[in-house]
Amino acid sequence: MATSVYLSNPSVTVNSVDLQDQCTSATVNYVLEQLETTAFGDTARKYGGAAITSLQNNSIEIELYQSYASAETEATIYGLVGITTNVVVAPASGVASATNPIYTLTGCYLESHTPINASLGELSTITLTFTGGVLTKAVA
Amino acid sequence: MANYIVTSARLAGFKPGDIVTDSDLDGSSIEALIESGHISTHTVKKSAKTKDTDEKE
Repeated sequence: MATSVYLSNPSVTVNSVDLQDQCTSATVNYVLEQLETTAFGDTARKYGGAAITSLQNNSIEIELYQSYASAETEATIYGLVGITTNVVVAPASGVASATNPIYTLTGCYLESHTPINASLGELSTITLTFTGGVLTKAVA
Repeated sequence: MANYIVTSARLAGFKPGDIVTDSDLDGSSIEALIESGHISTHTVKKSAKTKDTDEKE
């Protein structure tokens, strides 16, 4: 059985900035909203169909170590709140391929950020959720 | 088309000192990149003109 174990290779780019070495998790959610197409005569609920194109409702959630150093996490993320940007996530660094698909969420929105998330004796982390935008998958 | 100079090692696909354009950063917030110190506005500096101030004898 082939499966994927994520070690150090996944790449995460936010607003063209490579944050791989600050990232501990990334989740890409590809959603096409469910539209009901059930009609009279049907005996069961139906959703979607060949002629139905629903809206994408995508999101990407990433968890990063917080850093206030120059050009690090806080400097990169703070200015993105309330605007749209691009987020790119791939299972591994390197070029796109069938075994390393690169997912790009274009025009996604960052609603909130937690500049300080401090607990005694723990590394500070932040969790960001980018919502909306068009998700594309590159395999070449 | 504006040019920017890369000022951090984190800009994906570029290294400090590289010149990038708007199209290289398509879809990204350039303002945020400048504020966060990853790029800065690139201006071409003209070489200083020298002027011979020695008086001829």
